[in-house]
Amino acid sequence: MTRARTILICEDEPALRELIRVSVGGGFEFIEASDGVEALELAKTQNPDVVVLDLMIPGLSGLDVLAQLRQEESGREVPVIVISAWSDARDESFAAGADRFVLKPFVPDDLRAVVEELVA
Amino acid sequence: MKRRSLPLAARTVFATGLVGVLVGSVFVVMLLAVSALREAERREARSRDVTVSTLALEKLVLDMQAGVRGFVITGDKRFQTPLITAQRELPQALDELQRLVAESPSQRKRVRLLGQEIRDYRDVYAIPIVNIAETNRAAAGSPAAVAEDKRLIDSIRMKFSHLLDAEEGLASQSAQSADERWTAALVLGIGGLIALAAAMLAFGVYLARSIARPVREVAGAATRLADGHLEERLNEGGPGEIGDLTRAFNAMAENLQRSRQELEAQNEQLRESERMKSELVSIVSHELRTPLASVLGFTSLLLTRDFDEETRHRYLGIIDAQARRLGALIDDFLDARRLEQGRLELGRDRVEVAPLLREQAELFRGQSERHRLTVEVPRKPLAVRGDRDRLAQVIGNLLSNAIKYSPEGGVVELVGEDDDGVIRVAVRDQGVGIPDDQQSQIFTRFFRGDAAASGIGGTGLGLAVSREIVEAHGGRIGFNSAEREGSTFWVELPAADRRKKENG
Repeated sequence: MTRARTILICEDEPALRELIRVSVGGGFEFIEASDGVEALELAKTQNPDVVVLDLMIPGLSGLDVLAQLRQEESGREVPVIVISAWSDARDESFAAGADRFVLKPFVPDDLRAVVEELVA
Repeated sequence: MKRRSLPLAARTVFATGLVGVLVGSVFVVMLLAVSALREAERREARSRDVTVSTLALEKLVLDMQAGVRGFVITGDKRFQTPLITAQRELPQALDELQRLVAESPSQRKRVRLLGQEIRDYRDVYAIPIVNIAETNRAAAGSPAAVAEDKRLIDSIRMKFSHLLDAEEGLASQSAQSADERWTAALVLGIGGLIALAAAMLAFGVYLARSIARPVREVAGAATRLADGHLEERLNEGGPGEIGDLTRAFNAMAENLQRSRQELEAQNEQLRESERMKSELVSIVSHELRTPLASVLGFTSLLLTRDFDEETRHRYLGIIDAQARRLGALIDDFLDARRLEQGRLELGRDRVEVAPLLREQAELFRGQSERHRLTVEVPRKPLAVRGDRDRLAQVIGNLLSNAIKYSPEGGVVELVGEDDDGVIRVAVRDQGVGIPDDQQSQIFTRFFRGDAAASGIGGTGLGLAVSREIVEAHGGRIGFNSAEREGSTFWVELPAADRRKKENG
């Protein structure tokens, strides 16, 4: 019996959280964090299958969350999709351990495709 | 140095004049000594002349005596010749001697007495004896007559001897005094020359000290200045032109330094504005992309997927709100630009503050679940005069900041009060506060402190625009803040009912 895949969404804008949730669509369970500290805590404790991480979040920046997550035993393998309005942040994100980089604004179907590719 | 000192040129002329006077004095002393020497020489020559004349005169007298004796003893007429010659030459020889000793009264007297005695000898003795001898040689040659002759001649010879001694004394006295004066002149001259050398040396040292050294200092300072040490300054002062030079140099260095500081400040400003411009591009792109992502994303969902009526409606609501947010952002940028150009237009309506605060609180309540917004206003009306939309924008900015900068949540208090004719609105949060070193820049356009690094969005325009609006209303805006304890931003505006209240 396969359990539903879990996606952790780290995004401080409620509208964007909803957009990500709806874009990725059915077949997934969602947990949400609106700041960096909460995101790191949930990523470590909830064992999500994919993390969708906005870089501009309060508390800890997205890059810090990613770097610290990669230090953890539990967070070393989880696929992380970084979302940012800064195209300049692409290289830094990959350096910090991101698996995919999605530029804001994004096409909902494209995001879904990226998520499905990572959980396949 | 307030008092202008004597110019160097004047000092140089003065010193040169002093040296000239010294040289002149030495020259005069030497000249006097030389003239004394010449005078002594002349005096000596005259003494020689006097001696010669005296001896010649004495010879005349002795010739006369010899003639008389010869004639008396022999009766030979030939012996009368020297007597006649002497008689003939005597006045001239006496006159000559008289003329030579004319300068000395004592000698003149001696010559006069001598002449008298010689004439007496000739007239009272010699001529009568010769006459007697022509008739009676024995009487003329008597021992008494010979003794008389010897007495007279001895007296005359004594007088000659005195005259010569006196003349010699005068000559040696004159020579001695000339010698003394020469020695004195030598001492004075050599002393004067030494003094002159010392004076010239002193003057040279003075010139070196007062001109060469300052000039060298100025040259050194100018070199260091040229090497870029613009803080280089000289000791102002020094005599006359040197003082002018050092003052002018310092003024020049001052100007150079100021110009460079101004240039550096301008450069710094340019760099800063360049940095801000590039930051602005980043901010604009990010701040616009976030709402744009919602608008495009939800539009795309609506176009490509099927949703029920209620969901569709909610998504359209989100699109609407985010599009408005985009519009507001663009307004912010335009406001910033208008403020920059001083083209902000304000209404002058009566604005009730209490309802304004409640409306804004209501708007922001929907945006955050973690924050609790409270509004506290007095029962009596709080009214100001101004532009309602702009004042709403200010309160909105402050509330938005209070929520943004207290990410952990908490209470945001909105307080309005009438403080004796001044309407004061305060927005208090329990957020991160503002570090001391950033407090002075909070109202600077595009300044966002650590916000970007801590993931807090914004343009850095809100407070800058708010301050312009508040000041355009004749009010003040400010804050109190401590890091990690929260911030209180306040706005003070003149009450609209102030005059009415004073009258009532």
